[in-house]
Amino acid sequence: MLLVNNIYFSRQSKAILKDVNLSLPPKGIIHLTGNNGVGKTTLLKIICKILNPDDGEIFWNGKNIKKNHYDYCKNITFILDQNTSNENLTVYENIIFWKKIFSSQIKINEIESILEVLGLLEYKNTSTIHLSFGEIKKLELIRLIIEQKKLWVLDEPFIGLDLKSVEIIIQTITNHLDLSGMVIFTSHTLPTIPNINTVNLEINE
Amino acid sequence: MKFLINPNRFIKFSDLVFKPLICLSAIFLLIGIVFAFFLSPNDYQQGATVRIMYIHVPAAWIAVLTFLIMTLYSIIGLAFKINFSFIINSAIAPIGAIFTLICIVTGSLWGKPMWGTWWVWDARLTSVAILFLLYLIIIFLKNSITNINVSEKITAVLIIVGSINLPIIKFSVDWWNTLHQPASISKLSSPSIDPSMLRPLVIMTIALMLLAIVIGIIRIKAEILKRKLR
Amino acid sequence: MSSFNSILGVFLRESKIHYRSFFHILSIFLFFILSIIIFVFAVGSNKELFNQIGVGIIWTIILLSNTLSIKKFFQNDFDDNSLIIIHMSGLSYEIIALIKMLTIWMFLQAPFFIILPIAFLLLEMQFDNLKIVYLSFLIGSVIITCISAISGSMNLLNKKNFSIGGLIIMIFSIPVIIFGVNIVNVSNNIEIIKAQINILLGIMFFFLAISPWASGLCIKISLQNK
Repeated sequence: MLLVNNIYFSRQSKAILKDVNLSLPPKGIIHLTGNNGVGKTTLLKIICKILNPDDGEIFWNGKNIKKNHYDYCKNITFILDQNTSNENLTVYENIIFWKKIFSSQIKINEIESILEVLGLLEYKNTSTIHLSFGEIKKLELIRLIIEQKKLWVLDEPFIGLDLKSVEIIIQTITNHLDLSGMVIFTSHTLPTIPNINTVNLEINE
Repeated sequence: MKFLINPNRFIKFSDLVFKPLICLSAIFLLIGIVFAFFLSPNDYQQGATVRIMYIHVPAAWIAVLTFLIMTLYSIIGLAFKINFSFIINSAIAPIGAIFTLICIVTGSLWGKPMWGTWWVWDARLTSVAILFLLYLIIIFLKNSITNINVSEKITAVLIIVGSINLPIIKFSVDWWNTLHQPASISKLSSPSIDPSMLRPLVIMTIALMLLAIVIGIIRIKAEILKRKLR
Repeated sequence: MSSFNSILGVFLRESKIHYRSFFHILSIFLFFILSIIIFVFAVGSNKELFNQIGVGIIWTIILLSNTLSIKKFFQNDFDDNSLIIIHMSGLSYEIIALIKMLTIWMFLQAPFFIILPIAFLLLEMQFDNLKIVYLSFLIGSVIITCISAISGSMNLLNKKNFSIGGLIIMIFSIPVIIFGVNIVNVSNNIEIIKAQINILLGIMFFFLAISPWASGLCIKISLQNK
């Protein structure tokens, strides 16, 4: 259960977020929309504790995340709109690195099957500098599976993906929700995610 | 004492004391100059050049004090998230730099007739030169990062790291056997300086400190207004 | 246990990246060798002179080579946001800075131990001093790495002024240079050497204590205002 209470955030004495309230029960999904510059990414960064709000609190399972920051970090996966894979490492090395730092229990053959579904298996030993934008984005989204966390925070997950991959991602999200996971994502287009109580939130200044 | 950490209180307080401070500093400066040039004796060894001391020593004190104030404000600003301390830092850093430069220039003018050289690589002189370079790097770093929120905080970190130089300056004359003479004023009970020379020195110190405070108030106010405009 | 895994993961990744950018590291050492050769040409091959000032030349050029590698600390990971991912795996910014300092020391400072004899050879210096230079460099390189970490993290958002990072390294390295070079000049007196080594150790521990804090804070500030 994630509760976001009265978040207020300003940058250089200009208010970006005012009185934002969100509540996300298990199996819940929130779709954030809004014009450019209303602070969607900022709100996601506040939820991920990268930015500190000027006012307001965030509760995770009834506990304030300020006090148990590291426990909270163990429950959250953040996919940024930029790619975090290192361009000097190969696809496989990037995945192994993520597996290692998040102490993931995922098996090697599972990783290979995911790579095959996403069509990345032939690039397994290629440096990511040689991949196209969409392929790097797909690699980025593999982190969702590797990290095995409860709360997924996605910033523009569908940009640059082909229709087939979008279908796969939506299917993954649906499966995750069935396992009582939670998802927050921003997107300018509303993807058709079946039988889920989607909360649309317009962030206004 | 709220005016030390609150910009609005500071403006009110500085409006109150600004004119008296200008008058006081002008009076003290006049008296100090008269004392320094006419009412103090020549040194029996150094002759008239001893009068450089009346500007050299206060300038050095102000240079070090300014850095000390900046260090304290950096710690306060980073620990308690008080933005006013960063305003003060960026306002008074150039004052400190100028007074350090005055100290170095007068020192080398004094050193030429006394030690026979403009510059020696002794611990006190070197550490003061490093202080001057530190001031310059602080000013440069602040201006080379575009985002002002970042630049002021990172400059504060640099100031705290750089403050390691202050004890070195203070104790360099005691730790190393230097050409520069050790402190003669610090022992307040029995200073090793004649009262006839101590008097103009104290007056000049007060005058220059008041002058620095006046310039500081003007700069801090300008900085506050500049941030309000943005 | 999980944080130990994360530390190991970051360490292995850094080693791999440094191993991939092998030629960048080699070019830094080539810079070192080339600078010494240029010094020899500029001053002229004078054995006695180099025996006097050789250690100073070597230390100066080590310092200059280090200013070339500031951007290797945090810049890439900051630009592609991997720092956020590593931080969210449960490592604080201070620990990240420490791991980076360790890998940078291993890949960019430790190879100087192999190259220093070559520099001695080029400058025709006596090899008696090599042991003491090794000792002072072992301590001094840690200090320089700490200072580079501070300087590198300060300049993450600095897109305009590239030389300021080098300036910050140089001004804080002045004590290292003073004591590091002085050790060799007094090399006949074992007591003074001990005193100098102790001072260098003191500076090292001071910077080891302060630099994870300072660079962690700078990384945090920069990430928050990206």
